[in-house]
Amino acid sequence: MTSAPADPRTLRETTSRAYLEADDILLVTRPGSGNQPEIYLAMTGDGAVIAFNGHVDLGTGIRTALAQIVAEELDIPFDRVTMVLGTTSAVPDQGPTIASETIQITANPLRLAAASARRHLLAAAAEHLGTPLDDLLVEAGVVGNGRSTVSYADLVRGRHCRIEIDPATPVKPVSAYRIVGQPQPRTDIAAKTVGDWTYVHDVRVPGMLHGRVIRPPYVGYDHGDGVGDSLIGVDETSLAGLSGIVAVVTIGDFVGVVATREEFAAEAARRLKVTWKTPAVRPDLNDAETALKNNPGKKRILKDAGDVERALLGASPAMERTYVWPYQMHGSIGPSCAVAEWTPEQLVVWSGTQNPHFMRRDLARLLDMPEDAIIVERHEAAGCYGRNCADDVTADAALLSRATGRPVRVQLTREQEHGWEPKGAGQVIDVRGGLDLEGGPIAYDFETRYPSNLSPTLALILTGKVAAVPDVAEMGDRTAIPPYAVSNMRIAVHDMPPIARASWFRGVSAMPNSFAHESFFDELAAAAGVDPVEYRLRYLTDPRGADLVRAVTEKAGWRPRTRFGTEGSEGDLLYGRGFAYALYVHGKFPGTPAAWSAWVADVAVNRRTGEVSVTRVTVGQDTGLMINPDGVRHQIHGNVIQSVSRVLKEEVRFTQTGIESLEWGGYPILTFEETPDIDVLMIPRPDEEPRGAGESASVPSAAAIVNAVYDATGLRFRELPLTPERVLAALNGRQTLEHRQEMRAKRKRWLKFGRLGFLSVTGLAGLAAGGLAVLSPWRPAIEAIQRPDPALLGAASIERGRLVAAAGGCATCHADGNGEALAGGRRFDTPFGTVVAPNITPDERHGIGGWSYAAFTRAMRQGIGRDGSHLYPVHPYTSFTHASDGDLQDLYAYLMTTPASSAPSQPSTLRFPFNIRSLMAGWNTLYLGRSTVDYAPEKGEAWNRGAYLVEGLGHCSACHSPRNALGAEQVGSAHLSGGFAEGWQAPALTGLSPSPVGWTSDALYDYLRHGHSADHGSASGPMAAVVKQMSDLHDADIRAIATYLGSLQPSQHTQTAVAPAAIIARSQAAAPQAALAFPEGARLFEGACGTCHEGDEAQTRGLAHLSLNSNLSASRPDNIIQALFNGVEAPASLRAKPQADAQAMSMPSFRDSFSDRQIGELSAYLRARFAPDRPAWSDTAALAGSIRGSSAAR
Amino acid sequence: MTTQTVTLTINGRAQDFALDPQTPLLYVLRNDCGLNGAKFGCGLGECGACTVLLGDRPVRACTTRIGAVRDRPITTLEGLSSGGEHDGRTLHPVQQAFLEMQAAQCGYCLSGMIMATVGLLTRNPQADEKEIRAALRHQLCRCGTHMEILAAVRLARDRMAEMAAGHAGCNPINAADPPPRRRPAPDLEASAP
Repeated sequence: MTSAPADPRTLRETTSRAYLEADDILLVTRPGSGNQPEIYLAMTGDGAVIAFNGHVDLGTGIRTALAQIVAEELDIPFDRVTMVLGTTSAVPDQGPTIASETIQITANPLRLAAASARRHLLAAAAEHLGTPLDDLLVEAGVVGNGRSTVSYADLVRGRHCRIEIDPATPVKPVSAYRIVGQPQPRTDIAAKTVGDWTYVHDVRVPGMLHGRVIRPPYVGYDHGDGVGDSLIGVDETSLAGLSGIVAVVTIGDFVGVVATREEFAAEAARRLKVTWKTPAVRPDLNDAETALKNNPGKKRILKDAGDVERALLGASPAMERTYVWPYQMHGSIGPSCAVAEWTPEQLVVWSGTQNPHFMRRDLARLLDMPEDAIIVERHEAAGCYGRNCADDVTADAALLSRATGRPVRVQLTREQEHGWEPKGAGQVIDVRGGLDLEGGPIAYDFETRYPSNLSPTLALILTGKVAAVPDVAEMGDRTAIPPYAVSNMRIAVHDMPPIARASWFRGVSAMPNSFAHESFFDELAAAAGVDPVEYRLRYLTDPRGADLVRAVTEKAGWRPRTRFGTEGSEGDLLYGRGFAYALYVHGKFPGTPAAWSAWVADVAVNRRTGEVSVTRVTVGQDTGLMINPDGVRHQIHGNVIQSVSRVLKEEVRFTQTGIESLEWGGYPILTFEETPDIDVLMIPRPDEEPRGAGESASVPSAAAIVNAVYDATGLRFRELPLTPERVLAALNGRQTLEHRQEMRAKRKRWLKFGRLGFLSVTGLAGLAAGGLAVLSPWRPAIEAIQRPDPALLGAASIERGRLVAAAGGCATCHADGNGEALAGGRRFDTPFGTVVAPNITPDERHGIGGWSYAAFTRAMRQGIGRDGSHLYPVHPYTSFTHASDGDLQDLYAYLMTTPASSAPSQPSTLRFPFNIRSLMAGWNTLYLGRSTVDYAPEKGEAWNRGAYLVEGLGHCSACHSPRNALGAEQVGSAHLSGGFAEGWQAPALTGLSPSPVGWTSDALYDYLRHGHSADHGSASGPMAAVVKQMSDLHDADIRAIATYLGSLQPSQHTQTAVAPAAIIARSQAAAPQAALAFPEGARLFEGACGTCHEGDEAQTRGLAHLSLNSNLSASRPDNIIQALFNGVEAPASLRAKPQADAQAMSMPSFRDSFSDRQIGELSAYLRARFAPDRPAWSDTAALAGSIRGSSAAR
Repeated sequence: MTTQTVTLTINGRAQDFALDPQTPLLYVLRNDCGLNGAKFGCGLGECGACTVLLGDRPVRACTTRIGAVRDRPITTLEGLSSGGEHDGRTLHPVQQAFLEMQAAQCGYCLSGMIMATVGLLTRNPQADEKEIRAALRHQLCRCGTHMEILAAVRLARDRMAEMAAGHAGCNPINAADPPPRRRPAPDLEASAP
């Protein structure tokens, strides 16, 4: 009963063949489809009892309930039973684990097997003890006659015995049950509590490699144009320099990478340059109603009683209603994972699949292997409530293992799981009906539309093994017949092909169908002026259902009501109560009923914000016999919480070409703070057959909640989810929408000329003029020398030079992209083209080993290379020209002693005429040597040292000063007034700084030394690299820089003029308004950013409040977008700082998680909330697109 | 990438790793140390499935680079309890409470829930209902085990308060008769592929 497989070394389950060949064993079997019988029960000579079931445990605890059934029938202690679930080499094929069938249907052969074994063993015991059967008693697996005893194990020992399940074997009467029906702690939780349980994610086999897949751009679609046929090419050179890459595998649209370590595979998947065709534009599923009504379906009449059309003529009032259910996702907490080990003879996969035997058929097809050469070792995965990517990833692993001949583990990313899991399909239901003269339902005309859900295993489609042609299933009919007696009734379902990839999700089509039934009947009751519970009871024909309705409403203290608003209000909160009932009918129409469920939901609706909270749910269930009442209660809790989440919050969003909701900010689920109180009523019916308990309690949820919202507000909602903006819009009519548009219109346009608007087209003219201003642009080459002997350069000088290099940031720019310092290769995209930093290691051929000191100083101060060519001012010689001779000598000594790299310098690629280097001579005449910093003795040593470092070696102005049309730094009052570098806005270092709190010297010191200031936040982007580079500098130098920069601040800023607390308070006050204006941005922030950037000091410890972050107060949103795309590393230097430990976490990159539109919504919210006094940014989504595009060529 | 020797102190033991300091802590815990408690859930710090303790504070191992936590004590789910496998080992009171309240369905989020709870009760031993829910706000559970988890946190809080006050509850708590961990196989040889 543990997750441990029979052989912990190989993580392989004992096969049924091994059982069939074992001695000392009793097997209870049924004839199998092959030549081998299916084993349901094995009892060994040493007392083990192993029971087999074809279904799997999806986290619901059926492992425990099934063991209870076996222990009960056998009269053995519960913990003697071990369950084996799912693994194809051991268990019978009992189909997929769906529709809450396990206990109701799949457990039956198991119960009979145990009963058959018991009967067989008792007969053997009777013979052994010489006692008639009727005189025998069984206690804990020991048979006795009052005088002597014999154990089951004794009876089994010494031979191999097989019996077949006898369907006629009497099973125990319920009255004799001692184990079934009693609360039983689950068998898996102890191991899970300490980390001993082996989930499929934890499977590691010897020699295993790690794989990742790269999915096509038609995210979440498995049929239609381009599917399986979109790959243009894979550029493997994009992986150059990465470690541990074993293989890049492409088959059709299937692309995967395999590496020796997981992080290597993850990095390779991120870096691999894959070119795809432009994905096809899809029907807009954000508007599910239109998309589904336009999706051609085939109408199937399920029921047609009386004369609906004629009856409707007499309806008073007549009502026509449309209910819309959005696409939703299973949202397993763990993205799917699998391990595969392929050999030419056999494939073993360790999989979290819900359908192991089906999986095996798919793998056989995918790999052209016989089915019996494939073993699916089933392990538990993260909970799944229908079907997630478990099958897909299993096939992915199999393909990568075959390609490498090694075992491969594949872990999907969060974005892949969100994007590609087959969704719970949207649904649209039209209902027509009305009242007769007595107020009864005169007719009920119900049409439901449900796109199909048979998503094939993805790899079959991507590789082209299976044609990407949609299949139509008949699954929209679950619980399509309402439970109420209406004499004129027509029920129809439109069976239609899938749109986005879909599969069954808890409650399948029954949950939306019941949403419509129970909303409509609530409305009929209100129109008839009858209490909605009373109204239902008048027409509910099922006595057990009626019993449940009475019991639940009594428990909830339901007060009859005939109008809304009777629960009252308090401040902004309107209270309401709603009721709904369903008997979940699943399976092929007319289907199989599972447990009965009824809800009373209490809600509070905030009339100012539109927020709906479900405060309490009283839920009743009639499950018949409950095998494990604790397990049933647990399932009811789970269903209530998950369905409240679905009704209030959940809706998959789509781009034009695929799924947009790729993480939890874009697809939020219910949190602890939103969890309602749940009062559970379980009807004791031990003498009735056990009913499936896994889904029923979800089914009435939506109607109960919308009916409660009606009771609170008088408004009927027929489309989900009940987001604050939807509810508020209805509460305020059109007002809200207009308000929102107004808020958006208030944004000032900050960007008139595009991102590089500060560069004008006059550049060419200016350049030409500059070129004319010098007589001769040509400079002579300085002769190459032999690399100086390091011994002659002096250790002290070299060490000083190391610090000069740190102050100058040489390694930051001259890095090679793989971390090899000074070898060059880093690309700088400028408005004039791309400049590549050269190799400045002392390699004589490719670096500067052949440069004399004279050549070196000329390059540093005048921007002329040794060969006489002009350097581009990306190399900040306009700053370095101020460096002292001593520092340059030390720097030279240091550079000549660093490890030589033979990496050739790459050519820069500038556009004409900028590619004519000699034109730089004119540029130099104009711009070189314009600014100097004079020594000012009255300002003290620190200030002067700081000025030297900032204006000379440190070349801060290279990024922090604006540049003119020719790329030259502007001087005078523009000096250090803010610039642009590498796609990041470098804020002003002067009084023009956008920082909400003024910079003090101390704050500057913190920021430069530790990469973080409590009043300003963390260095990110290029500045983070600068801080890292400066980490070698002496404290005194950092202090000096801080002193000098501090002196540039206006005097009132040297003492923090605006208290951070006031700024934070202002931001908190702005939060509700920001959420009203940008509700989606607020949700993205809560889900994606909230872990670190929300909550009290205790939770965000060490992180500056975002309202203090100058990037949010800046004139442009570039830095925020860059931070979201690239993430922000936790500065390692913070470790030295006490109390700053929260910064151990880095901010991840959200490049692959957010769409441009989402970035736009999030940025708008961030700005409105954290810089409420600044004008809104506009066009952030477009800017995000442009930054994404320009940085895609990584 | 640059390989360095990075020393990590995990569950009280210092270990050297020759790895890029940028390597996510989660992969090292799971793949190099075989500590499976912390789970990969999102890689974005959103869901909390990978929560471990750094010192006594919960952090997300998926977005923590090993270079940022050198020499700082890291505790995983496995490090909370002491001695042997779960049968017979001494559980942390929070683990014990989660076990007693059966606070798991699939259990994938369980480790993160337990670690976040230990962090909460360390810094706020008297956490009230509102504070408990706020502390777990960014620990996601999809199965809907919230009621059982909240009950477990309350139980752990009360027990730990009793223990701190020196009441009888301070004796080590043992896992209540867990089932046998490994079952006997009838014939391992025959199961070889």
